[in-house]
Parts: sequence; C-alpha cells; structure tokens
Amino acid sequence: MRSFSLIFKQFSRSVLLVACFAFLGTQAHAQGDAAKGEALFKSKCTACHKVESEVVGPALGKLVTEETDDKYLTKWIQNNQALIAAKNPKAVAIFNQYQQKNMTIFADLSDGDVANILAYIRADWKAKSAAPAPGTATGAPAEEKGPSKILIFSLLGVIVIAFIIILVLNRVIATLERMLVKNQGALLVETAEGEAVEQVDKLAWLKKLARNKKFVFFVLICGTLFVGVWGFIGMWTTNVHQGYQPVQPIKFPHDLHAGAMQIDCQYCHSGAYKSKNASIPSLNVCMNCHKTVKTESPEIHKIYDALGYDPKTQKYDSTKSRPMQWIRIHNLPDLAYFNHSQHVKVGKIKCQTCHGPVQTMKEVYQYSPLTMKWCIQCHKRTAVDYKDNAYYTNLEQVHKLLKDGKTPTAALMGGIECGKCHY
Amino acid sequence: MDSNKKYWKGLEELNKTPEFVELNKNEFAEPIPIEEVLTGGGLTGRTPRRDFLKALGFGVGAVTLAACQPVPVHKSMPYLIKPEEVTPGVPNYYVSTYDGQAILVKTREGRPIKIEGHPNDIIAKGGASAQAQASVLDLYDVNRFQSPLKDGSQTGWAQIDDFVVRELLAIKAGGKKIAIVSSTVTSPSTLGVIADFIKQFPATKHINYDAVSYTGIIQANQNSFGKAVLPHYNFDKADVIVSFAADFLGTWISPEEFTRQYVSNRNSKSLEEKKMSRHIQFEAGLSLTGSNADVRIPIKPSEEGAALIALYNAVSGTTLAGPKLNSPAAQNAIAIAAKELVAAKGKALVVAGANDVATQILVNAINSLLGSYGTTIDLDNPSLQYAGNDADFDALVGDMNAGAVDAVFFLNANPVYDYYNSKAVVSGLKKVRLKVSFASGPDETAAVCNVVAPNHHYLESWGDDNAISGYYTIMQPAINPVYDTRQAEQTLMKWSDNPAKDYYTYVRNNWDTNLLAKGGLSGQKGWEQLLQTAFVKEAPKAAGSYSFSLSLGAVAQTISEHSAKLAAGNDKMELSLYQSPAMRDGKRANNPWLQELPDPVSKVTWDNFAAMSAADMKAKGLQDGDVIKIDNGNGYSISLPVLVQPGQARGTISVAVGYGRTVSGPVGTNVGKNAFPFTSLLNKTIQTNAVVSIAATGDNSPLAQTQTHHSIEGRNSIIKEATFVEYKKNPAAGTGNGEGHKEYKPDLFWQNWREDKPKYDWVMAIDLNACTGCGACVVACSAENNVPIVGKDEVRRRREMHWIRIDRYYSFDDKGDGGVTREHDISRLKEDDLDNVKVVYQPMLCQHCEHAPCETVCPVLATVHSSEGLNHMAYNRCVGTRYCANNCPYKVRRFNWFNYWNDSRFDNYLNNEHTQLVLNPDVVTRFRGVMEKCSMCIQRIQAGKLKAKIEKRPLRDGEIKMACQQTCSANAIIFGNQNDPESEVSKALRSERTYYVLEELNVKPGVGYQTKIRNISETEA
Repeated sequence: MRSFSLIFKQFSRSVLLVACFAFLGTQAHAQGDAAKGEALFKSKCTACHKVESEVVGPALGKLVTEETDDKYLTKWIQNNQALIAAKNPKAVAIFNQYQQKNMTIFADLSDGDVANILAYIRADWKAKSAAPAPGTATGAPAEEKGPSKILIFSLLGVIVIAFIIILVLNRVIATLERMLVKNQGALLVETAEGEAVEQVDKLAWLKKLARNKKFVFFVLICGTLFVGVWGFIGMWTTNVHQGYQPVQPIKFPHDLHAGAMQIDCQYCHSGAYKSKNASIPSLNVCMNCHKTVKTESPEIHKIYDALGYDPKTQKYDSTKSRPMQWIRIHNLPDLAYFNHSQHVKVGKIKCQTCHGPVQTMKEVYQYSPLTMKWCIQCHKRTAVDYKDNAYYTNLEQVHKLLKDGKTPTAALMGGIECGKCHY
Repeated sequence: MDSNKKYWKGLEELNKTPEFVELNKNEFAEPIPIEEVLTGGGLTGRTPRRDFLKALGFGVGAVTLAACQPVPVHKSMPYLIKPEEVTPGVPNYYVSTYDGQAILVKTREGRPIKIEGHPNDIIAKGGASAQAQASVLDLYDVNRFQSPLKDGSQTGWAQIDDFVVRELLAIKAGGKKIAIVSSTVTSPSTLGVIADFIKQFPATKHINYDAVSYTGIIQANQNSFGKAVLPHYNFDKADVIVSFAADFLGTWISPEEFTRQYVSNRNSKSLEEKKMSRHIQFEAGLSLTGSNADVRIPIKPSEEGAALIALYNAVSGTTLAGPKLNSPAAQNAIAIAAKELVAAKGKALVVAGANDVATQILVNAINSLLGSYGTTIDLDNPSLQYAGNDADFDALVGDMNAGAVDAVFFLNANPVYDYYNSKAVVSGLKKVRLKVSFASGPDETAAVCNVVAPNHHYLESWGDDNAISGYYTIMQPAINPVYDTRQAEQTLMKWSDNPAKDYYTYVRNNWDTNLLAKGGLSGQKGWEQLLQTAFVKEAPKAAGSYSFSLSLGAVAQTISEHSAKLAAGNDKMELSLYQSPAMRDGKRANNPWLQELPDPVSKVTWDNFAAMSAADMKAKGLQDGDVIKIDNGNGYSISLPVLVQPGQARGTISVAVGYGRTVSGPVGTNVGKNAFPFTSLLNKTIQTNAVVSIAATGDNSPLAQTQTHHSIEGRNSIIKEATFVEYKKNPAAGTGNGEGHKEYKPDLFWQNWREDKPKYDWVMAIDLNACTGCGACVVACSAENNVPIVGKDEVRRRREMHWIRIDRYYSFDDKGDGGVTREHDISRLKEDDLDNVKVVYQPMLCQHCEHAPCETVCPVLATVHSSEGLNHMAYNRCVGTRYCANNCPYKVRRFNWFNYWNDSRFDNYLNNEHTQLVLNPDVVTRFRGVMEKCSMCIQRIQAGKLKAKIEKRPLRDGEIKMACQQTCSANAIIFGNQNDPESEVSKALRSERTYYVLEELNVKPGVGYQTKIRNISETEA
C-alpha cells in the first residue's frame, strides 16, 4: 500500500515534469528569427503560397510544421528540381501531388534565410491555428473541425478532472496509510519516511493550507460555483451558435465589398426586399463585375470554374458548371418562420442590426444569438415604423396606442404572439 | 325555436350496437391500457438493477454527447444563373388547364406545389375539385414510369422510336387496322396530331373510349334533334330540377360547373332575394346530389323507366304505355314534380343519369315539353367533355379478336381495367402485333402492352383544351419533366413523321392560325397574353329552342323491356354502380390524398363497399362490415364488406367503381374491388345497373370510416335548419335566435373579449345551404398545410389528420312530438324511417373560439389566443398531453402519432424525396407527439398582410383567401375581418340565418354557420 502511493506520487511528478519540458521544448522550437523570415516570405513566396491556404502551391503552414526534417526543406527550397531529379521520395510525392508543376529555384537563399522563413511559417501557422476562429485550416470544411475541437476539450476536461480526483484520493490513501502505520509502530515509519522527508517538506505549506478548514471550504465553494455557472452557461447556450464562422468555399471578403467598395447589401442579397429569403446571390451577380475585375485572382477563378466559364474565350460551358456549396451561417430552425422583407422593407431595419458589422468582416460570422429571447427583446423595443405607410396609418390600433401615450412597438402590435412566427 | 328533427351521425349511434354504447361511455375512442399495465408485466416485471444502471448511464452519456453537437452544417446552394422571374421564397403562379378547366399552378423555386382555380375560369369560377387539387401529387409519384419500356424492360427513347416506326411501316404495308384508343380528347392540338397521324397511316381509327360513358345522351340528341352532342346544362337557370339518378353535383359530366350553377340559386344571395330552386331526386343509392336534394325518393334502377314514363304522362297529359310505378311515395312525388315542372316552364330541367338512348330520348321529350331547350339546356354551345361511343370500342374489341387489328395505342385509357368485358380486351390484344400504352404510371392495360411510351404529367406538358364549345384553354408546363418521359403528342408526331418537330411548335402554330383569333388575339403578343390569361372565349351562339316531335311508342317499349331486365327476382338484388366523388373512375387510384378523402356520404376511406338498406340487411342478417359475395351469375363475382346506407332503395345495392385496381402504384393497388365488370353493353351503350345475387361469406372486414368518431350526444345546437316557407316568413327561422333566445354574456374572465382584437378579427362564415359536401376543401387544406396521410389502418384507429372535415348528419322527420333530439328518441327509429332521410353537410374545422377551452388546459401554453382572434398552436412548444383535444367541444384537434413524413411504415404516402417536393415550404411539418389543427391558413394571412405593408396600402377585404374557401366551387366559405363592418364575412355573419355551433357552451366560436334551408312544402316536411 505504502509503496503504491509512493510510486504514484513519483509517477505523477514525472508526468508533470515531462509535460513541462515538452511545453518548453515546443516554445523553444518556435523561437528563431521569424521577423526576418516574414520579410523574406513576403518577397519571395507569396506569389504562389499562403501559410493557411492553398494558392498555386500548397498551403505551407501545416506542411512545414509537420515536416521536421529541416535539411530536406532547405534543399527543397533552394533547389527543388535537383531533389526531384535525385528521386527523393518525399519530393517526388509532392511534385506529383501538384500536377508536376515546378517550383521556382531559390539558389540565392542561404541556409540561414531558409531557417528564418521556416521559423516564420511555423510561428505564423501556430498563431493562426491557435486562434479560436477557424479560417486557418487549409480549406478543411468546418464540419470536420467543429466536433473534434469540442470533443477534445471535453475529453481533456474529463481527464483533468479524473487526474485531480486521483490526486485527492491518493492523498486520502496516504493519510490513512500514515494513521495505520502510526498505529502499527514507529520503526517502520522511520525507515519509510527517510527517503521522502525532503520532498514532503517542500510541500509543507500546501499541507498546512489543506489542514485549514476555512480555506478548504472557501475553495470548495468557489469550485462548486465555477462548475455550476460553467455548466449552466453551457446548457443555456446549447445550439446557440453565436460567433459561428464556417470556412466558405470562396473567400469572399465582405469588408472589401460592403466596406471599402460600399456596395449596397441588396445589390447581391436582392431577396431581402421582396422575399422571406435574403438569398445568396447567384453567380451571375458576381459576374456583373468580376467578368472584368480581378480576373486573375484564384478565388475569382473558383466562380469561373463553378460556372464553367472560360475567361480566355469569355464563353460559358454549362456542361462543366457545378453548384456552389456555400455553408449557411444563420440557421433558424424550421419551426420558426422569418421573413426578410417584413423586416428590411417594411420595418426598415438595417442589415447590421442582426448581422453585425458585416462591412468590417473579412469572413462573416453569426453576430446575433438568433434565440427566441433575442427576437422578442427586439420586438419589444422596436417601434413600428408606421409613418408614410398607409397600411399602418389606417389601423385604428396605432392611433389608440399613440393616444394612450404608448409607442406602437412590434410587440404591442401583436409581434410576440406564437402564431406570428410558428406555423 | 327548436328543431323538430333528430340528427345522428352514423348508424352505430342509431342502432345502438352494444359496442357503440360501450365506446360512447368512454372518454377515449380506444380503451387506455391501464389494466394491462397494472396487471400485466408492467409493474411486476423485474428490471434488474444493473440493467437499469446501464440504461441510465447510457442515457446520460448519449444525452451529454448529443448536447455537445456542433453547429450542424447546412449547405446553401444558390442558382448559378438565376432565372429572372424566380425569387427564392416567393411563389410564382402559372396558368394551365386541368380537365378543360383553367387553373393556376402555384410554384415555389420551380416546383409546382398547389393547384388553385382560375378566378376567371368559366367552368368553376375559381373553384377546383378534389381531383384537381390532388393532381399535383401525381407529378412527384415515384411509381410513375421513369423511362420507356419495351416488353416490360426499361429502354431508351431512340430504341422505342426505332422499333415502333419499323413496326408501323410494316403494318402500313400489311394493310390491317390501327386504332388510337383514348379517353375523350378535348384538346384541339391533340386532335390535330391524331388527325396528322391518321393522314400518315390511313388505316388508323381514333376511338374515344370513356370508362364512364355518356353515349346515351349524345345518341339521344342525335335521334331527337339531329345533333350528336352532349348538351351544356344551365342549372343556374333552372328553378325546378328533377334528376333521375344523375349525380350532377358529384360526378356527372361537369360537377364543378354544375355545383357552381346549382348553388347560385340556393345560396345566401339568392335566399335574400327570396329565391330558391327546388330539386327533386329519384335514385337508388344515396348520392352526393341526392343528399343535397330537397326531396329525394329512393327508387330501384328498374323503376326508373316507369317513373320517367309517369312523369312524361303527367307533364304531357297523354298516356304513354309503360310499366306501372308501384310505390305510392314515388307516384306522389312524380305528380308533385310534374306539377312544379309545368309551373316553372322555361325554367325547369329534367336530367337522367342512365346511359341509355331510349331513356334519354324520353328525357328530351319531357325537357322539350317544358321549354328547357334554349334556357336550361343549350344544344348550340355543347359540352365536349365526353364524346365516347361505346359501340366503337366494342367493334374494335371484336376486330382485335378477329385478328383484323395490327396496332393499338392507348392514350389515357385503361380498358383492361374498366371495360365490362376486359377478358375480351386481353385476348384481343394478344392478337395485336403492336400494342402501345402512353400511360404515365403502371396500369392494367400498360401491363399487357409491348411498348410503354410514358406520357408527361399535365404539369410538365404543353397543350390546350376545349371542354365547352367556344372555350379554349392553354396548358403550359410548370416544371421540367421529372422523369425520362415524353409527351404522348410528341411521340405520335415523331412516329408519324410530323413536319412540326416538337409539340410546342405544333400547339403554337395551331393557336396562331386557328385559335388566338377567336379571342381577338394575334401574334407573339397575343400568345404571351394567352399564357397569362389562360383562355380565349368565343361569344356563345344563341341557344336555340328545340322541339321534340318524334313518336315515343317504340321508346317506351324499349324502356319497358329494359326495366323488365333490370327487375330482380325475389332472391336477387339490383346492383347500381356509381362513381365516388373522390375516386371517380379510378384513374387516380395511386393518389393517397384521394384515397384518404372520405366518400362524402358514407365517410368510408381507402375502400369500396356494398351499400344496402337497413331493411335488407336486417332481412339477411348482416351487420356492418360483413363481407358479402356479389355475383352477377355471369362468371364475375367480388366480395365486399356491406354498410348500412340510409336512403338506399330497398332491394338494391350500390357499389362504387374506380376501386380494385390490380396494377397501379403501391397506394392504389388492391384497394377495394373492381366493379366495372358488372357493367354490360345493352343497345350499344354501357349500362351501369345489373341484377346480382348476394351471399354472406362469413368474414368481417371493418371499413375505415371517419364517421362515428364523435357522437353528437343529442345536442340540437349543431345543425340548424328551416324550410324555405319558414325562411320566407322569418329569415331567422330555425336558428333559435330572436324570441326566447338566451343571450350568453361574456363571463368573468373574458369581459373585453371583443376589444382585445384591435386590428383584425379573423372569422369565417360557412353557408350550410351552399355546401354540397364534396370534400374538395379537405384535399385543398391537406395540400396547403402539409397534412399527412395516415393510411387505412390508422383511419380505422381514428387517427386521420385532416384539419377540416365534412360532418354528415342524417335526419328524419320527428312526426310532431315536438321534442328535441334526445338519445332515447334515436333508438325508437324504425327501418322505415331510414328510407327517407335528409342529409346535412357541415364543414367542421377549428372554430377559433374566443373562450377557447383548449387554451385553458394546456400545461405548457402551447396553444394561445392571438390579438387577431385566432387560436394559435405552437407545435414546438407542445409536449403532447392531448388535454386540448379532450377539452375541444368540436373535436377538431389532431394528434401526430408518428413522424408521418419520416417513418417507413408510411412509405406509401409522402415519405420519399420526390413526394416531399410537394410540401408547402411556408408551413412546417409537424413531428411526432404534437397536436395540430386548422391554423386558419395563418401563412396566407401573414403573407397577405405583408403584401399590403410592402405596397403601403390597407389590407383589402377578400384579398386573403383560405385554401378551403378558394377551392370551393359553391363559395360556401367566406373568410375575412369582422372588425370591418363592410367586409363580406361581416355581412354574411349579420345574416339572420347565422348561428354558432354549440353556442350554449359560450366558447364564442369564430366560425359562424348559416342555417340549412330546404325547399319543401309544409306537407312534405
């Protein structure tokens, strides 16, 4: 018994130690002259590569981080064709993967330069993949990322909790053992304690704290409160996907179109004025401008590919066309009926009220929680725009509410009744 | 003033079977298995502790993991190049034609989801029949042929074309006959294509073959007036209508049109002018028309001839020799009818359903005496809906069996199923070299054809129609072909090497050269206008008056002989075949909406049955559901369950045709039994009456009826009626309003119930005098609101989901004991009383009560009242306690026992990727375990309001129409805002005839009914 708790103690310490070293090690690995590397990367590589996504060549972030053989990478970057000629298996594989397109030879880059570039790519990739929002994955669809992340976090949580429980239990066992030993006699204690004396002393302050009942009680209360609140929030926000930002098949920058270019939302989302669906624009809307604008961009070429459009001949080939599969960000359940035209055209609500500052979003995410509470709050606060609309001005109710000194909000006009949205 | 009538809803209630009495005591239709739970394995069964813990652990784990679900990824795919006219989320409407009637097709994102009547259509003026409503579902039927077939195996169009053209050329060289057999073709362009085909292959004959034929009328008119036409009847111009077994409101010739015309003389507007037509019906089985008649006299089919001769004699004052009418009631009725007909000369109409030339000649003679020609009957603008000639097809069958025919084409015709002698058709077809069926789905005739060239659904087709002389409608596709089918006309053009390469061009040319000018249109502009307006109409010719001048001696002789043949001996019964308004001739048997639509009179779904009178059943010792074998003594017999049908003439049984399809989709196959083989060819016309013997088989097969679900408990405030005489004295007669009427005060909790609805008060008015009970509204509601189909077994368990139902109440005269309807009165009824019943139809849907009893019992507030007077139902809030259904006095709430949209047990109905395309995207489908009910088409209300808001104008009255209201040819339903005193519905509800069902409960229903008025004299009443 005694030996078991000791072994465990040592084992857990070594685990912690290894974990610390591993952490430090990765930190150290990420060090290097990333700043120099960044400059080099931007001048030499960005024509064909990006860290996070595929352009002409592969996405480098993942590739370079996963490849630990820096010598191979240096050789590849300095003269990839020599490597291929030498039939290096890794080199041939990637060469074939990218349709045997040759990469430019960078004989001018020294080993140090390449090391800097690699350092930059790794650091950048690390930063990007650590960021909470997706967008750093190399085009991997969001559905693959979502579950794994949450699952991993929850599994980690379970492991940590289990570890803590084991530690606590171990302490209990140790205490019990000590009592047992005390009862059995001092001799045994002397020999056993001899080895552990030094270590035990180090943790004396902790032991002292643990013996302080008030402190333990305080910690327990805090812990319970924390777990309770965490659990409550977790359950409360189940299926609330505020902040949801899936990776879209085309990196459409709303900040550029709606922000810098000041294109009206309805130019593309023309349904918002007349239909329940704001509607994702059909690709012919994109083509109104992109037949001539930025025709060289690989993202724009995705439009061409989907349409079966050949920019050289400027001809469409419908046999090559395929649907553009956007990922829906705002998902209302089927049981709730929502009509854009009611809000945008009649209520004159700005798109941004619900969709947030889209004009600043590089990639759109779900800004509002889209919960029923959120809907109702707005209906309670928002006054109906009855002016200049004969529909309302002829409604007695509006006059009655105004006479009573009330603002005719959507809610007072019946806008929070079940059947207005659920049918 | 309380009613003197007793009502009962079904015969279980009337006959007080022990089973019914037992069930009636219970709150639930089916016993709740409490006993079973308490005594059976429920409580004593041991659940081992470990199993329990395992289940608990798994459950908690599963729920935890399920809650961790990430954002579900929904793909959203826009159009690549969006068609200009399509806005996702906004419906587009296209005009088209259904059965010669102009319609509107509602499409969403390119797929048709609903059929609506065309408001300017001259036939139904915006109405649409149950069949028309249901036709959209056929479009998505996965059991349609998905490619052409040769000898039963799938092949391509090129192979089929190649084969058929080679065969046709060989046949042409051989010189034998070719026949195109079709249901009556009314399309001018199709007729043109067939004519072109005949030019190419001159041995071809086009034969119109109708499953239910009107040859008798056409030939009688040829005989009497030299015009072989089906007349156009004007029921709206008739003040007195006498019908001999013609179900003109249900199935006869053009029921939607006749319903509209008929009701226009009986609805509120007509009543306010103190005008109401009078309708006397003589028939064997209780038809939809008979149930709406003011006076209905049950007579046997064999007595029909005698009755007509008696009527002729009474009208003309002559004595035409013929059989005597034995029944004193019928004699009396004939005398009264004759007197009234003569008094209404020029505004009288006599019609007969018999497909018999002699009978129809006699009817012509009577109508001529009454001056009907030129007023109620129009021979100069004839109806073209049926042109079949029974003798033609019979001759073809003879030719086929003689080996004189080398090729037969079947276009929308299925004689192997619906011909009286289908064996001869099958044996004849064996001798035919090339047999082509254009059937779009499997049928009996296609099964014996060597080539199947599947036709488009009409919503995929170009075409036109000319149902009534001078009325030309256009048919345009509303969707691309769903399967690899080709329009039959296109196929015929291809095979006959027509110079026009595709049928669209053909139709277009035909309209440009022949038809557009009839409506004053021309050129591209005219064509485009046509595609928006749906039809052109020539100014009708002046209807001439025709006089009958032939001798009737021979006619009377033929009728006598015919009647003698139909008269059954003592041990036999007279069989009368009829079409059910839901299933008609059985061509749409694979349509679950129609199969689940209850027959208006019997309320039977998913089956046909043998209707018998109570006296006959008692004499033979039969109970409802007992299976009898019906044998025509000529080698054909079927076994069907029997059903007591009040009003059925004694000595007769009625059986619906259109059932018993053996080759159809999974829905229609083997539902009921085929009664077509009981028909016979007599004097070159198909007769629908026969003499049969019956024998009990000893089996019992309960029918899936929707009738005795809810007993009426003797309450006399459900149906209110009055006679026309009473109405003229006091318009409020029968409502109980006025003197002595108890005013129910708003009570403590709902004092300001009227003021609570400041904007709108959506209400409905239903005119019981206009409703004929046809059931089109039920199908329209199902289509609009995604109401699921549950199937025969579930209907038997009383789990049908229809949001609107038509309650049918029988009543009989109480012979003046002055008492109101009481339970104990019903048990005193004798069989004699059952022969002469009166019928009331009452559409019943959620009444949207102001003091809704359902709302107060819902523990989760899933059903609450709105400020617009509607009773809302939030499905996602419902937990399925069903308290609300228990507390609803109208029993209109429906519980979802299954996920009907996604449950393999309901595979036949709407549970596949194609049929789900018919769902209305603006209405959610309900999941298992929640209540649902009529929402007053709230999606339409919301859409209507939004349209007004966008257009910045007040909402107009009549702008929002309910699905049931829209499809009603009789305009029996009016919906609108009661806060607007000028709205149609306010006016209707202010009518003196208005009453509220179960008013004494003080639930303040939002649906008002107007009393049923019967045009019967005091002595008859």
